Parts: sequence; structure tokens; C-alpha cells
Amino acid sequence: MSDERDPNPGPDRAADSSAASEAGEQPADGYQIKLQNFEGPLDLLLYLIKKKKVQIHDIPIAVITREYLEYLGDRKAINIDREAEFLLMAALLIYIKSQTLLPREQVVDPEVELQRPSMDHLLPYDRIKAVVALLRDKEDEQSQIWKRSALTAPLPDQDLDLVEVSLFDLAESFFTMMKRKQADTAQVFKGKEISMADKTNEIVTTLQARGVLDFLDYLWEQESLEEALISFFCLLELIKARVVIAVQEQLFNTIKVWLRKDTPAKDEE
Amino acid sequence: MTDHLKSVIEALIFISVEPLTLDRLQEVLPEDAAADIELALQQLIDEYEAGRQAIRVTRSAGGHIFSTKPEFDPFVRRLLQIERRKRLSGQALETLSAIAYHQPVTQAEIAAIRGVDSSHSLHTLLDNKLIKIAGRKEAPGRPLLYRTADKFLAYFGLNALEDLPSADELKKLLEEGNS
Repeated sequence: MSDERDPNPGPDRAADSSAASEAGEQPADGYQIKLQNFEGPLDLLLYLIKKKKVQIHDIPIAVITREYLEYLGDRKAINIDREAEFLLMAALLIYIKSQTLLPREQVVDPEVELQRPSMDHLLPYDRIKAVVALLRDKEDEQSQIWKRSALTAPLPDQDLDLVEVSLFDLAESFFTMMKRKQADTAQVFKGKEISMADKTNEIVTTLQARGVLDFLDYLWEQESLEEALISFFCLLELIKARVVIAVQEQLFNTIKVWLRKDTPAKDEE
Repeated sequence: MTDHLKSVIEALIFISVEPLTLDRLQEVLPEDAAADIELALQQLIDEYEAGRQAIRVTRSAGGHIFSTKPEFDPFVRRLLQIERRKRLSGQALETLSAIAYHQPVTQAEIAAIRGVDSSHSLHTLLDNKLIKIAGRKEAPGRPLLYRTADKFLAYFGLNALEDLPSADELKKLLEEGNS
């Protein structure tokens, strides 16, 4: 407490200054820092900070660096080694202080703090790796075992992987069929006239009975090209009116037609 | 009497495309005691396993289903014209493992386990219906929670999630592997 250099004496401070005076006995030939609460070479200051004898918050680094630059400016010649050492220590000092000034993760958000413990319950990665190996074995094992569901539902990622087809897909299918049918029918009978309305009703009735129609097969079933053509237009109309839906199962590449369940258009009227 | 019950169960499993559960069997066969049904079922399983039949009764996802024995895989593939063996990617499998052991789990937690972003794997798994979204976590940002779906069990031939080794068993496995 008898130390006059210490402006705010305390048990810690007393220890500081005794340490300072001890070290101060060595010839201080380097640059001396003069602050309100510290006086001496920079390495001593750094030492005291590391030993937590001096609070880094109490050290104004801006003052130290400004005064040091002034000191350098006044010098005619400089000792590179010594100044480099000072720079290194000053940099260290700045680093230490910046670390204490930067916000810590814990204090940022108390909610983040709450989430932390739950992360500790997580399995370590090597155990996850062990599970992966285990599941891989099981997967290989299972890939050799076939169940009847393999027939009704295609492979895993093709499960329900249905694509609603565009007009172009429909048209393409239709033209393929037409070519085949054209080559097939040598004779064309002109006879019964088919109206679009009749055909539309027929398609809807068939759909209600069968649930699903294979687009191509259905057109193929038609007696004549004309009838197939009308069926095709009716189907287009029904799709447009959103009464039916045309869907393609990627795996087999045939277009299927369903009655839409979500459109009560007909029932409501 | 048991033979008859066995045959009935055989017929019911045969016609089932999805695993037939004991509960469902009990519903269909209300006159038979649960213990009898279980006994008949077990005998059926054993008979198929021991016999020269190419099919067996497999426990899967909490029920029973007929499946071919592994040695006939090449022939079934030829018949169905499926050459490629479909496998999940390592990434997807890792994500799936993390979900299986921590469900319900958020994407952030999965990322914490794996150390990498898992959004792509999550999409793949959702698309394949191996996992499902199970609501949101009451935490900042209300992140989505993921769970394994029923198909997860069937896909890996598991009967229940408990079939997977526990966290402690895994630890033991690893220690044995290292020593």
C-alpha cells in the first residue's frame, strides 16, 4: 500500500507493483511505457497481464501505440531487433485485448446456450459410422430378398414417382399408335357416326368401372381410326376440363388415365 | 387344429402385399387365441425356413410377409428385368443413421453430428419416403423435426427400431473392432 505509483491500491495491485519493482531492477535500456497505472518496459507489462496481475481492460493500448509512434518519429536511428520485439509484444497485447473485447459465444444468446447441452447427447461420429456400416449390410441383404410389393410398387425412389404428362407426350403416343393402326387396317368401314358427347360419356363410364385406363391400349381397342381419333380428342377435353388425369409411370413409359378424385365437377352439377 | 390355423395364416400372409401384423391377424381370426395364432405363425416360419421352398416368412416392419430367399435374387432380377442394385449414397445413409438414433431431430443437430450440411441427403430421404417430417421443434426458428418412416424398417429388413443396436452396444462394437 505504500507504493505511490499505484493509483488504486488493492491486494492485487500491491503484488503488481512489487513484481514491477523487482523486474525494474534490470537496466531498462528499451522503450519505457508511461501510463497512469503502469510504468516500465512492455515485456513486463505483458508478463503481468499474463499472470493476471494487471487487468488488460485498464491498459489503454491506443495511448501506448500513439506514444510509441511519436517516440519512433523522434529517433534518428532505430535498433531493428529491439523495435521488432516491441512490435511483436504490442501485437500480442492487442490480440489479448481484442480477445477480451470480442463477445463470447455464451453471452451472445441465452437460447443458444440452452441448445448446447442437447448437442452433447448426440452420438459421436464414429458410432454413426458404425451404424452406417450396419445399415449398409442390411441394405445389401435386403436387396437380394424380394417381396410381392416389388411388383405392385416399383423400386424405392420410383415409388409413386408419377409424372403428369404434357399434351406433347399424349400426342406423341397417339401418333405412334395411329401409325401402327393405319398399317393394320386395310379396310375402312364407314358406318356409325360417333359423337364426342357419347364418346366422352363412354370414357367416363369405362373409367368409373375400370378405375384406370391405359391410354394407348384404350385407343387401340377402338374399332376404327376415326373412333380412336375421337377418343383421343375426348380424352384431351376431359383432361382440359380436369375430370381425368393422365399420368406416366416413368418405369414402364405408358400413359395411364385416371378419374380425378379431387374434381367433383360432374357430381356437383 | 393347429395345422388348419397354420394354413389359414399362410393364406392370409400370401395374399398380403404389405406386412401382415399380429393385430390384423387377430382381427381376422377372432375365434383363435392370440397365443395359438403366434404359435402357428412361428411353426409356419420354421417350416418354410427348414423346407426346400424358395420363399420364407419374413418379419418386417412389425408384421409378416412372404419373401424369396436370397439365393434366388439373380433369377428374380432376370424376371423383373432389374439389373441395377439400388443403394443409398453414403451421405444419405449417414444422415439416415443420425436420424434413426436421435429422432425426432433437427437439421442443425444432424449437421452437428456429421459436421457437414445434410440438406441434400434429407431431400433424397424424404423423396424415398424413408424419413418423414414430424412437426417443428419449440426452439428458436422453430426448425423442422425429422423421423424415420415405416418404410425405413421395411427397407432394411428391420422389425422395429429396437432391432438397431443401442448406443452402448455400438460403443462396445467399436471397442471390439479396435482391439
